[in-house]
Amino acid sequence: MATRRTVRRIGLYVLLFAVAALFVGPFLILLSSATKSAAQDVFGFPPDLIPRPPVLDWFKEAWTTVPFARFLVNSLIYVGVTVPIYLIVSALTAYPLARIAFRGRSLFFMLFLSIMFLPGELMLIPRFLVMGQLGLTDTFASVILPAILSSLGIFLLRQAFAQIPDEVVEAARVDGANEFAIFWRIAVPIVAPTLAVLAILGFVSVWNSFIWPMITLTSQSKFPVALGIAYLTGVSGTDVRGLAAGTVISLLPIVVIFLLLQKRILNSMGGAVKG
Amino acid sequence: MPGLSGRVVGQHWYTPYLFMLPGLLMYAAMFAWPAVIAIQLAFSDYDIVSPVRWTGLDNFATLAHDPRFFLALRNSLLFLVMFLPLTVVAPLFLAMLVNVKLRGIQAFRMLYYLPVITSMVAVAVAWRYVFDREGVVNWLLGLAGLGPIDFLLDRAWALPTVVLLEGWKNMGLFMMIYLAGLQAVPTDQVEAARIDGANARQRLRHVIVPALLPTFAVTLILSMLEAMKAFESVYVLTRGGPLDSTLTLGYYIWSKAFQDYDMGYASAVGLVLWAIMIVIAAANLVVTRRRDR
Repeated sequence: MATRRTVRRIGLYVLLFAVAALFVGPFLILLSSATKSAAQDVFGFPPDLIPRPPVLDWFKEAWTTVPFARFLVNSLIYVGVTVPIYLIVSALTAYPLARIAFRGRSLFFMLFLSIMFLPGELMLIPRFLVMGQLGLTDTFASVILPAILSSLGIFLLRQAFAQIPDEVVEAARVDGANEFAIFWRIAVPIVAPTLAVLAILGFVSVWNSFIWPMITLTSQSKFPVALGIAYLTGVSGTDVRGLAAGTVISLLPIVVIFLLLQKRILNSMGGAVKG
Repeated sequence: MPGLSGRVVGQHWYTPYLFMLPGLLMYAAMFAWPAVIAIQLAFSDYDIVSPVRWTGLDNFATLAHDPRFFLALRNSLLFLVMFLPLTVVAPLFLAMLVNVKLRGIQAFRMLYYLPVITSMVAVAVAWRYVFDREGVVNWLLGLAGLGPIDFLLDRAWALPTVVLLEGWKNMGLFMMIYLAGLQAVPTDQVEAARIDGANARQRLRHVIVPALLPTFAVTLILSMLEAMKAFESVYVLTRGGPLDSTLTLGYYIWSKAFQDYDMGYASAVGLVLWAIMIVIAAANLVVTRRRDR
């Protein structure tokens, strides 16, 4: 009996590793291509995937071919400005939808949820024109503004606020606290875990976004790192190894964050979307 | 929750609106106003240089006879059909695979989730090396006596390849949604079925799938909306080519607007896409409601 269980367990691990290879394999091949010396083929049959010896020259090459440091700093600025504003605006919007009774409340909620059903490609066109009207084309603000509101943020925070027990709030109300004080000092700290999840999701989405920045930005000096990679693929004569190295650089921050916070991300993700 | 009549201490009639003010402003500036402009543009001619000219239904009349529009519509629907098994079916099995108590299982979940958090640009670059004419996939095909295939340069293979990559990138997310659903399935039900002699397939069909119906509703609509919107993957992988074989509605809108500067026509196509998405959402709502009753 015990041996049968052991066999089953080993079989399960083999399967788990095989599937893992499908999901991680392409990234490993990317890493291997980025660390091969010029003398070693990137392609060819049979595949020769172990760099002998691994070199870091291509990272240096990618770093100098395009202003990578600038792109990384830009992405950090975009994330650093967008995410806090996103959290504050979402929390402020979601709070009354969960905790204050007023006429048309569910209508307002539907209004904010409707964002989900707007095709992003259609929005690119008028937003491009709106940014022109506002005189914001090719500015950091034009990248940040459209990312401040999301239906998921309002949806999740409304749920979190709604779950706060009434007694907690009533006690403060009896003490004479106004609604904003209740929101800021009591409700927001309680929903901190949801805010943390949204902060991570916001980080990922801002860090990876590239279509809208590509349309609104013309100065290379304002490019986020994802756009920088797209730009690097367009630079003629970029070595396949250099391109791989640049891509690895763009992936590193997000992968590190993910590894550090993976428990929080994974535990919340399914439940969050499921609602 | 306090009723509408009695005013709660510390609240005024304007309190909720004051809270929502920044959100409403952002909604107006970044969603409502642009949506109004998009609708207006769909009935106009606009090339950025000359002023907007109202043309009524002209754009839609052109659209009705535009073979590229119908090709894009067809490709988007094909995209959807190929995308559903990858995001609604396969992740259920992934979720069942990682829904076990095993040392290090969290690490596997994490690895399967990795593509979700990486950018489409990076994913596209990574897969270039895998799908290259002299890459790993073609080597494996060669061992089986097949290929080589130029996956992204072959008219027959380009669209399935783009769908595969988009599916691969999203599978982890759908897996986590199913995992949350599975963990809500009472284990004693599954156990009872096992004791009653139900094999794995019967347990899946008669216990797990019925319990997961609400989860299927979520994954189905997410998957359909994602497929209809597909654009970034097409942009970074094929630019709609070769010979329009990966031209989707999303890509057609972009290329009409930002390559041909035919903003009016692009908006008209966008309106059609919007209508399709609303129909999908409404159909999903109706089906879900009927089941719940």
